[in-house]
Amino acid sequence: MARLIRTEKEVEGRFEEVWIVVEEDPLEQWPEGPLHVVGRPAPRKDGRERVRGEARYTADLKLPGMLHAAVLRSPHAHAKVSRIDLAPALALPGVRAGIGPGEAHGLEVEAGFSGAAVAAVAADTFAQARAAVEAIEVEWEELEVVLDSDDAVRRELLTAEPRRYERGDVEQALAGADVVVEGTYRTQTVLHNSLETHQALCEWQGDTLHVYISTQYIWGVRQSVAETLGLPEDKVRVVCEYMGGGFGSKNGPDEYTYVAAELARRTGRPVRCALTRREEHTSAGNRNATVQRLRAAARSDGTIVAFDGEFTNSVGWSGWNASTEGPMKMLYDCENVRTVTYGAQLNTPPMKAFRAPGFVEGTFGLECLIDELAARLDVDPLELRRRNYASSNDGTPFSSKNLEECYRRAEPHWERRHEVRSRSDAVWKRGVGMASQIWYGGGGPPSYAWVRLGSDGRATVITAMQDIGTGTRTAMAQIAAEELGIPLEQVDVVLGDSARGPYASISAGSSTLPSMGPAVRAAAADAREQVEDIAAQRGMPAGTPLEEIVAVLEESQILGKGARGPNPTGMSVLTFGVHVVEVAVDVETGEVVVERVAAIHDVGRIVNPLGASSQVEGGIIQGIGHTLSEERLLDPETGRVLTTSLDAYRMPTIADVPEIVCEFVDRPDEHLTNLGSKGLGEPPIVPIAAAIGNAIRDATGADVRELPISREEMLRALREAEERARAKEKHGAPAAV
Amino acid sequence: MELLRPSSVEDLDGGVFLHGGSEVVPLLREGLLEAEQLVDVRGIVPRGVQSGVIGAGTTLAELEVEPSIPDALREACRLAASPQLRNMGSLGGNLLQSTRCWYWRLGYRCRLHGGDRCHARDGEHREHAIFANDFCASAHPSDVAAALVALGARLRTDRRDLAVEELYRLPDEGNRSTTTLEDGELLLEVELPPVDASVYLKAMDRKRWSFPQVGVAAARHADGSPRIALAGVAPIPWRLESVEELDAATPLPRTEWKVAPARALVRRALAQLA
Repeated sequence: MARLIRTEKEVEGRFEEVWIVVEEDPLEQWPEGPLHVVGRPAPRKDGRERVRGEARYTADLKLPGMLHAAVLRSPHAHAKVSRIDLAPALALPGVRAGIGPGEAHGLEVEAGFSGAAVAAVAADTFAQARAAVEAIEVEWEELEVVLDSDDAVRRELLTAEPRRYERGDVEQALAGADVVVEGTYRTQTVLHNSLETHQALCEWQGDTLHVYISTQYIWGVRQSVAETLGLPEDKVRVVCEYMGGGFGSKNGPDEYTYVAAELARRTGRPVRCALTRREEHTSAGNRNATVQRLRAAARSDGTIVAFDGEFTNSVGWSGWNASTEGPMKMLYDCENVRTVTYGAQLNTPPMKAFRAPGFVEGTFGLECLIDELAARLDVDPLELRRRNYASSNDGTPFSSKNLEECYRRAEPHWERRHEVRSRSDAVWKRGVGMASQIWYGGGGPPSYAWVRLGSDGRATVITAMQDIGTGTRTAMAQIAAEELGIPLEQVDVVLGDSARGPYASISAGSSTLPSMGPAVRAAAADAREQVEDIAAQRGMPAGTPLEEIVAVLEESQILGKGARGPNPTGMSVLTFGVHVVEVAVDVETGEVVVERVAAIHDVGRIVNPLGASSQVEGGIIQGIGHTLSEERLLDPETGRVLTTSLDAYRMPTIADVPEIVCEFVDRPDEHLTNLGSKGLGEPPIVPIAAAIGNAIRDATGADVRELPISREEMLRALREAEERARAKEKHGAPAAV
Repeated sequence: MELLRPSSVEDLDGGVFLHGGSEVVPLLREGLLEAEQLVDVRGIVPRGVQSGVIGAGTTLAELEVEPSIPDALREACRLAASPQLRNMGSLGGNLLQSTRCWYWRLGYRCRLHGGDRCHARDGEHREHAIFANDFCASAHPSDVAAALVALGARLRTDRRDLAVEELYRLPDEGNRSTTTLEDGELLLEVELPPVDASVYLKAMDRKRWSFPQVGVAAARHADGSPRIALAGVAPIPWRLESVEELDAATPLPRTEWKVAPARALVRRALAQLA
């Protein structure tokens, strides 16, 4: 039965209080451990289509009469359009329509960053559209450009009020502590670089707008487009069957969608607006840079008594102030914590959510600081983490927390450090480091699914969700197969179209499985109960195979319906884990090689161990790029992006991938839904940078404090460590022999 | 745009030469190169290796598995680019590739583009030069060029013979080119003198598909003397007489870091030759 509740909704670490109608979740959880289908490795249901090129991505779609749009973008980091003339563009061959500032949502007179959208044209070919965009005449009034985040904070150029938090009395705790460590950590701007660039193809049929889009949130696009264009939501159909990566950057529609919709309206033709790789680098969002000024204080017995952090997020022209302070508030049991987080508004491309926004950056600072503290206290880093284990989230109980079990399973990997270090030589220094992971990932209501069962014993799960490449189709099919008691091969999943199923949650914030999985199970259970009912009416003995029962259906169908139940009230639903990383550092050339990563995560029940390992591997590889080689660079004078190609912006290649060992605690969260599963999309990228940094310290004694750990940063840290050692030798040398 | 396919060197008459296209096509697309006539020279540039002479049309992929060429050249080819690019890219094209300087690639009106300043010197230049960087701070990206200079290779064009080293020149106020090639001059063959031993070492910021942060080629010639050439440290391939010459580097604030890896790689290369 449905009921109205007031609840806290969390997406990507952002909370809001909302009223929602939820349905009860009366199903008992399955027992722990592998079941018939759930908990057993299943290859991707759509693997064949994907590798054979049969899967239809938004980028593959072509509609009859389709036009191509190109977007004029500001070359200036901050400027106003004082005059614009589209006529020269409209006169060029193949050009069908053009729009300027104010004529589509996202085309604006004031450009707050180099790459901001100003105008657009539609033409028969993309080359014609590009040429036409070049022909648009614009006069700019250039405005002051702010690029430095500290400068912006000083001048109070902020995207929101600074976020302040304090518990206990930090000043007093610092004064009374035996040891205080402090450091300034910096993280860089990185790009999502989805394989499929941001794009939409829009077509009007009567008064209905069809939006084919590469998105992580079909229903969010539907709602935003309807609201912006003043349409009833049912007059917007959103389709995304296959999706080539988003990582947080495709949570909503952007200017390209509105450009395509408006140009389609004006021309009466379908219009595609697809970003180029260069636009992907200048205008599609990024993980923001941070500066973290941190202090930690402890008693000599290793009890942490205070954390103090000042965080500045370089948000850019738009975006939000992510929870970079989150790990400092939540990861350890510490009575006195004080944080302030600034969101600097700069004339740089906008921040967008990127795989655990804030926590990736904040964990790098915090978990490196913890190891500096361990070194000062002369306590084993794993032991220091255990001594300060948090048993509640500042008083709020955890729905489940098995971080201690993660630590226990990390021990054999951690033990390897003696052997790893012993393989060092004069040039290559080897070491082992660890870092803990905390993040959200509980998902939440609402989300719905239907299960249709025919007389052939096959089931189809229907829900208008998206599979963003994480194996959602497979996991949903496994859940339905388990509940119905039929083989996985007999379950199909229909998704990706708002006109073909009920509301489904966003695929972001590690929420797809914990939000959708319980709804699919509930729908399958509803169908199963109906089947059992038929069996009882026919006097069939309990345990009669489903195929035998449904054989009587002929044209009749069983339609099961399910909804995601509420989250547990008064509890913190969080994910946990630990990484243990082995590195080798060439101390002469500054090369850092990650040789092995052991990743142990606690995310509740694992539905598909194969898909879960794949998620962890992907997170680690993306994290290695973030840690070692990726950085979006701006020209310090003009604020223009310099790294606009995949040659200048360096993501890891397959040759950079280390040995990766994945383990899962795999214990259902007994308080969370009928499934007990949390999400895993983000957790594996959270601790990797800090674990690498700590392994480097173990190997070389050098404190790296800045991402990426390029050769430049590595050599700087090595030089600093050498100078420190020399100074210590000088002062610490015995006076006389 | 017109595509020509001449059948002999004698038929050449201007235009932009196209071989593998891995450099020319992106430059055309970005508007950094303009061409009314594209001349596909694949039919007239020799390809393959014969007794120390390499056709300029030989691909890097062919050279990376060629047993008869010196180690330095084979290794420089193997460590360059990606398998796909090496399948397309020719030896001649590799020698003539333009800098990866992002200002130049984005069309900033820098000195190499005929302008009056080097944007990299005042801006982002962490990948740039530590030698001869006064006028233009770009770093030469060719692994293969450094290897050939160290090997003392010679070039035959449709007009002359010259040392590979003589193909390159530092740009200056009067002439912004980094090569001595004349208009319409076509590279045909590379000739390798015999060497006793050679090596190529490369610092990258990932394990594959990266231009050299620092590339070091060294070869021991018949007279016993080592010859050293570096990629990624100057606007052209850069000769060093000894490792001590690195003390005379003139790095920019953010290229200072390159000196240490250069020193380490030169030492390692010389040690491997010994």
